[in-house]
Amino acid sequence: MVDNIILEVQDLKKYFNTAKGMLHAVDGVSFKVRQGETMGLVGESGCGKSTTGRCILKLLELTSGKIIFNDQDITNYNPRQMRKLRTDMQMIFQDPFSSLDPRQTIMQLISEPIRERRIFKDKKEIEKKTLELMDTVGLASRLINSYPHELDGGRRQRIGVARALSVNPKLIICDEPVSSLDVSIQAQILNLLKKLQNDMGLTYIFITHDLSVVKYFSNDISVMYLGQMVEKASSDELFAYPMHPYTKALLSSIPIPIVGKEKQERVLIKGEIISPVDLPDSCRFYNRCDFGEERCLKGNPQLREVRPNHFVACVCVE
Amino acid sequence: MSDNILEIEGLVIHYETEDGCVYAVNGINMFLGKKKTLGLVGETGAGKTTTALSILNLVPNPPGVIKEGSIILDGTSILSLSEKELEQVRGKDVAMIFQDPMTALNPVMTIGEQIAESVMLHGEKHKAAALERAKEMLRQVGIADSRSSDYPHQMSGGMRQRVVIAIALACEPKLLIADEPTTALDVTIQAQVLALVKELKQKFDTSMLMITHNLGIVAEVCDEVAVMYAGRIVEQGSADEVFNNTKHPYTEGLFESLPNLRKRGEDLVPIKGMMPDPMDLPEGCAFTPRCPYATSECKKMVPELKHHEETHFVACRAYDSEDFKLRSKS
Repeated sequence: MVDNIILEVQDLKKYFNTAKGMLHAVDGVSFKVRQGETMGLVGESGCGKSTTGRCILKLLELTSGKIIFNDQDITNYNPRQMRKLRTDMQMIFQDPFSSLDPRQTIMQLISEPIRERRIFKDKKEIEKKTLELMDTVGLASRLINSYPHELDGGRRQRIGVARALSVNPKLIICDEPVSSLDVSIQAQILNLLKKLQNDMGLTYIFITHDLSVVKYFSNDISVMYLGQMVEKASSDELFAYPMHPYTKALLSSIPIPIVGKEKQERVLIKGEIISPVDLPDSCRFYNRCDFGEERCLKGNPQLREVRPNHFVACVCVE
Repeated sequence: MSDNILEIEGLVIHYETEDGCVYAVNGINMFLGKKKTLGLVGETGAGKTTTALSILNLVPNPPGVIKEGSIILDGTSILSLSEKELEQVRGKDVAMIFQDPMTALNPVMTIGEQIAESVMLHGEKHKAAALERAKEMLRQVGIADSRSSDYPHQMSGGMRQRVVIAIALACEPKLLIADEPTTALDVTIQAQVLALVKELKQKFDTSMLMITHNLGIVAEVCDEVAVMYAGRIVEQGSADEVFNNTKHPYTEGLFESLPNLRKRGEDLVPIKGMMPDPMDLPEGCAFTPRCPYATSECKKMVPELKHHEETHFVACRAYDSEDFKLRSKS
């Protein structure tokens, strides 16, 4: 692998043809992810973060762009080749209530990927592997014959993690894996994901709207707005020196659980996200931005490096 | 007359289902001062929403039964009112904002009519005047009044929540109950809505009960905090006391689970185990099985909510011994 890069996405575009026109869900996104690290993909509803995740796994066909995984260009892989490759790339979904078949037991759910791929054929071996996986993700072995409805959200999400791990993947795309969980349970799952990464050298793409979670978790963070990346930097750098007006607003919008001590002044952004159909050829954040100038309307700003390894797509940032 | 807009005493609510009895609320005492905001915090299943619904006597019955207790709203006992009298209270004295603005609005009525409906139910006789009031409320919540003839589906989630707030405040209620009002919204929109709620609350002199699981929101908008666990309040006090002088092990656990205060790479400290099944609560203090400080004494009886400082209450037996301190405080 060149420079330890396990995944490279180049100018990824995904448009959906809707009744109202072309919907630009992802509009030219590029990034690299290093082996064993975590990249956080952050943004609000409709910014294209989940679509990006699905395109990488090719659960959606790309409109254009290139995906290089493990030094292979997988952009034009057919479904059969992809099927094989998906032992290396797995996904954990947001909602552990709808992502599990309610009529399968935990044994069936966790062993499904193993059985599907015929990694083990012998029943005993499958059971042994399942129990091993349950142990890894912290599920008591007595639950092996339970059904998902008997379990709470935290345990269901552990099943999701065990299923993803069952095929020994290199890369896991985590799409809002803790958003539907209570904080005390959320911390349990985050610790588990972190431990698995340390033990197995997993690489994560962590898709979330919750900046506090990615700060804890990610090496690099990319902030998306309306299908495009507006800022990209290491986690420490981004939190210390946010530059794009949107990133700044996003950071200061997080309610901080501190009382009485001095807090950063809040930057409220006005208005709401514009429609992703028929986008203007100008900065997409212009209508909500406090620093908007005339030059913002001239063309869509591209990412440029303003500090070492810190990229911003805003013409007003020096 | 007391300075409290709301006083709840000894409230017990059960859901009596075919599978057994769900002990949703197990004897809570709570009070809310006039013009103050109280944050009711807890995880899924703690009984926050059931408590809120009981204030309007809206707990679905069956299966929900208010077993014991009294709820005094500005001098009136809610539980002894007739259905007709309650209708006068609901929407007029007490208004509620729900989590999901789409299901709270009627999809086949324009938003102007929906606000006007509430105004007319509570005294306004003339439709034209009510519609005028609706437009004024829309302006108050930051929506152009030209949109009053729009339907909910034409608006985004943040706008819909603003409409819900407009309906709630149109009759200038004494108490506003907000049940996770921003959980369904994006953070930047959440910040807008919270700022709006805060501003309007001041303008209308309303007291507020804010139900949330997000401690950040509590810090942002609340004067006082009550932390609920398994149908009981385990800690209550001013926001300053609860945040900076945390007393209950569960509250401590909630703070330690939060990722945003920590540096990257450190392990989070989750609360071990899970919320108990409300059909089968542990004996004594319900937090015992998850509590790092628990002793065999804790199983013997439910701890009372005791004064700690003048306005700070904690329900934890460990404080019977004078030198007990939480780990994070020692």
